[in-house]
Amino acid sequence: MVGRDADNRILVGGAAAAFCVLIVATLVVKGSTGLQWIMSGMTVGSIYALIAMGFSVIYSSTHVINFAQGEFSMLGGVLMFSLVTRGHLPTWLGFIIAVLIVTAIGAGLERVAIRPMRNHSVISVIIVTIGLAIALRATAKWIWGTDPVRVTAFSSGTRVKILGAYLPPQSFWVFGFAAVAVVLVFLFFNRTLLGKGMRAAAMNPDAASLVGVSSSTSSLVAWTIAAALGSAAGIVIAPIILPSFSSGAMLGLKGFSAAVVGGLGSAPGAVVGGLVLGVLETITAGVLPTGYKDAIAFLLLILVLLVRPQGLLGRAEDVKV
Amino acid sequence: MSGKPVVRSAVLLLCLAVVVSLSAVGCGEQKVDTSKETYKIGAVLSLSGPASPLGQPEQRALEMLQEQLNAGAGVDGHQVEFVIEDDESLPAKATEAMNKLITTENVAAVLGSSTTGASLAMSEIAESKKIPLVVCAAGTQLTQPVKKYVFRTPPTDSMAIAKVLDYLVNKAKVKKIAILHDANAFGTGGADELSKKAPDEGIEVVARESYGSTDTDMTAQLTKVKDTPAEALVVWGTNPGPAIIAKNMQQLGINIPFVGSHGIANKKFIELAGAAANGVVFPAGKMLIPSSIPEDSEWRTAVDDFKTEFKTKYDLEADTFAGHGYDAGLIVTEAMKTAGTDKAELRDQIEKTKDLVGIGGIFTYSPTNHDGLSEDDLMMIKIENGNWTEDK
Amino acid sequence: MDRSGVKKRLLGLDREYGILLVIVAFIFTVPLWSRPIPGSVLHMDIVNIMCLAGTYACAVLGLNLLVGYAGQISLGHAAFFGIGAYTTAILCTRLTWYPTWLGVLSGMVLAGVIGWLVGVPVLRLKGHYLAMATLGLGEIAFILFTQLKWLTGGTVGVLNIPPLSVFGFAFDSDLKFYYLVWAVVALILLFSVNLIRSRVGRGLRALHSSEIAADAMGVPTAHYKIRVFVLSTVLAGLGGAFFAHFQRYINPETFILSLSILFVTMVVVGGMGDIWGGLVGVIFLAFLPPVIQALPEWIPGIPEGLTNFGNYQLILYGILLIVFMMFLPRGIAHGLERGAAFTNRRYRLLADHVKARKYE
Repeated sequence: MVGRDADNRILVGGAAAAFCVLIVATLVVKGSTGLQWIMSGMTVGSIYALIAMGFSVIYSSTHVINFAQGEFSMLGGVLMFSLVTRGHLPTWLGFIIAVLIVTAIGAGLERVAIRPMRNHSVISVIIVTIGLAIALRATAKWIWGTDPVRVTAFSSGTRVKILGAYLPPQSFWVFGFAAVAVVLVFLFFNRTLLGKGMRAAAMNPDAASLVGVSSSTSSLVAWTIAAALGSAAGIVIAPIILPSFSSGAMLGLKGFSAAVVGGLGSAPGAVVGGLVLGVLETITAGVLPTGYKDAIAFLLLILVLLVRPQGLLGRAEDVKV
Repeated sequence: MSGKPVVRSAVLLLCLAVVVSLSAVGCGEQKVDTSKETYKIGAVLSLSGPASPLGQPEQRALEMLQEQLNAGAGVDGHQVEFVIEDDESLPAKATEAMNKLITTENVAAVLGSSTTGASLAMSEIAESKKIPLVVCAAGTQLTQPVKKYVFRTPPTDSMAIAKVLDYLVNKAKVKKIAILHDANAFGTGGADELSKKAPDEGIEVVARESYGSTDTDMTAQLTKVKDTPAEALVVWGTNPGPAIIAKNMQQLGINIPFVGSHGIANKKFIELAGAAANGVVFPAGKMLIPSSIPEDSEWRTAVDDFKTEFKTKYDLEADTFAGHGYDAGLIVTEAMKTAGTDKAELRDQIEKTKDLVGIGGIFTYSPTNHDGLSEDDLMMIKIENGNWTEDK
Repeated sequence: MDRSGVKKRLLGLDREYGILLVIVAFIFTVPLWSRPIPGSVLHMDIVNIMCLAGTYACAVLGLNLLVGYAGQISLGHAAFFGIGAYTTAILCTRLTWYPTWLGVLSGMVLAGVIGWLVGVPVLRLKGHYLAMATLGLGEIAFILFTQLKWLTGGTVGVLNIPPLSVFGFAFDSDLKFYYLVWAVVALILLFSVNLIRSRVGRGLRALHSSEIAADAMGVPTAHYKIRVFVLSTVLAGLGGAFFAHFQRYINPETFILSLSILFVTMVVVGGMGDIWGGLVGVIFLAFLPPVIQALPEWIPGIPEGLTNFGNYQLILYGILLIVFMMFLPRGIAHGLERGAAFTNRRYRLLADHVKARKYE
């Protein structure tokens, strides 16, 4: 056991070292262009990380992979368009209303569609989330049409210079939001009674109910948090990604990959997975023929699964007999 | 109580209806003869899925054409019905829908689909089942080499590329370009042809990069372009990619001209790219800016009428896709006037179409040319202060 | 041998074979009664829909063995479907002398080899890791189909694929192809029934209920899992190859994640680990969209705007998927069986009761 842990530590350390070497090499060889890649990659990576956290919250409490996670972000983005771009509400008010609406939808869906499935296999629940994703996407298409929408950036100005790289001001909102979100989620699951109970509920429902957290409460809270987190993320990234009814699929796929790479169920893992994925993608797009850029994310996914299936920062799971 | 006014207006309406129908009969030739069989034409369009912004206006235009025809003399007195199916932007669904139209609806011809992929799949059926197909997609390979039963309404990607090259050589006067294209069929096809034809015009392609349709950041590709001596960037893709590229260019401070494709010939691009849209140039059908068409021509009248009627009926601006759908319906129904519903005869008649005034331009087909339009039906548009202007 | 076993077999009371016979008979008659009547309410081309469903069925029946008996989910079977399709499409269009049936076989072999290469390392893992790895694999396959232009034709795809022909007989119409593909599906069903009854099948079932227990009892679990996975990829390759020869045209956009998800959904909605469940799922989900599409003609008064194509259809599709999972979480086939068993149950309870008495 000890030997395997040590092995794992060496693996993760090695991966981290290799990644650092890649970053340094990029900076040395490409100079300010390399820095631009890394900064742009961090913006993209933070987007993936935010979505990945939503996957992690639901997975760590219920072991369900929520295929509708990307749709929460899509809904946040297009609602923001209606409230702020069309409805001319101030940004902060639009933000709050949009998050509240999507959170209510998330909690409502949990009660209506997920809770009745509590005694059934995880795969059945996953199929239900696929159904939810299809229905949410089609409803959004009915309401907002097929075109992407423009959401005004939170602050004005076209670009900000840091060192030799340029970023749109919205990138800094994304960084800041991702940082706050990961701290909050981490504290919730590791420092609060409810959060700890929820993790326990995923492992052993009976034991968790003894400390007062039923798997039913756990699932409701997880879905509420995931919807709030997903929609808020969708709003913050909306000025960059120009959301449309179909954006959720891409966000979900990349966010899921980031979550698996970092370790499904770990909030810091989601951030690490997202950033690694985003930066690697951008560097690849800069160096290799760009058509293969997306393959990097999925090669990394498979590689991580083969070498360290619990993800970079994940804990090895106990296998139930 | 409230029954009376209702009854009264009903009676009034009834009288009106009788009068109108009597007067219609009185006009004689302006009436559909209901005793004649209805002419059925199938249409497979991308009404849902990623290509739905193309398919939906095409559907609306066809429904409008059907109403117009049936309000008049129909086709040679026959009522016309467009039976429209959705392909969800998927080739497999397109063939399923087309088979259904042929076997269960017994249509005389099929229109669509909106995307090149789905249309290619359908053209296989058109050839094997010998049924005329008029596609609304722009992929060059659909009609080159000529397929016996396949015709097309939109200007081809080749025409748009020829227009862009013409602009680069004669107007922008550049020698070196970079290409950034969507990795999908539209973007890749355009980029391939552009790279092939550019050297003939004395233009060197110094960089060629691609991006995914759902990518959110293209700065990595643009930094590569920045490091090359490119004097202009040609972007081949549809929303939202080019809008993100325009913004990323502004972010990185790249000031070379942005030349787009006809894929951004919509107001949505301006909305999405905001201030970054200014200065962008792209090729498009002349119907987008009717004032670019000679004022006293039949074409101008057709376009003006079409745009007004579309606006009244749907409260939407008619875009080029609406035009493609309308033209497809028009070409088949015109040919039906002489050919009826015999498929072989109909095919021959469509091929004989000459100088037919449509919305996208003036259509002429021949045994060696199934494209209908020519490069002259296109123009270059420049975005200035968030508005389109013809770049003469 | 125990007497009742012999008697059962002699009387042909073998339930599975009975069901198979009924299905074969039914499939044979479909084209006889389902001729589309122009203008009738149910104007869908059933034979055409069944042709496409048949190609999916090959993949889904294989996947069902994997999900239902090895307890593993794959979210990348569209990749193997695509490998089968591309292999035969490329071989038969580039090498005009290449027999199409050999193309189909080549597609199956290549899909199986790639399945084996992926399966061996990944199947050592427990839990949903195979699902995640196959999802990644599916995306990579899609990227390769798109990017390897010299081989696959890139985004344009492969055109002019010849129809399948065996010894000069070409399956070039919907009807001919229908009988071919469903005959093959019937063979796969027969094979599945026999597999499940064999020693391997019993091992698989033990594997599904508890891998550790099966291990302890000497079932070579890792070996079995890999074999079932490879079998499922071979069958997906077969379905894909059929698909290519039926559609006569393929491009990468067909072989995407949503097709993989559709396969899994067909398995789960039909009934995991129930041989007939996969079949029920395929047919149910193949006919759901056209039926939903026809609904507004049957029920007037659905609000305008909602009836626009794609909107209400997909909303309803999503909701129905959820509702079916809620009320029939173990699949439609299981629901049907339970419905049928309901009438028998009282009788059986009584019989058991009597039997129990006898040995008291």
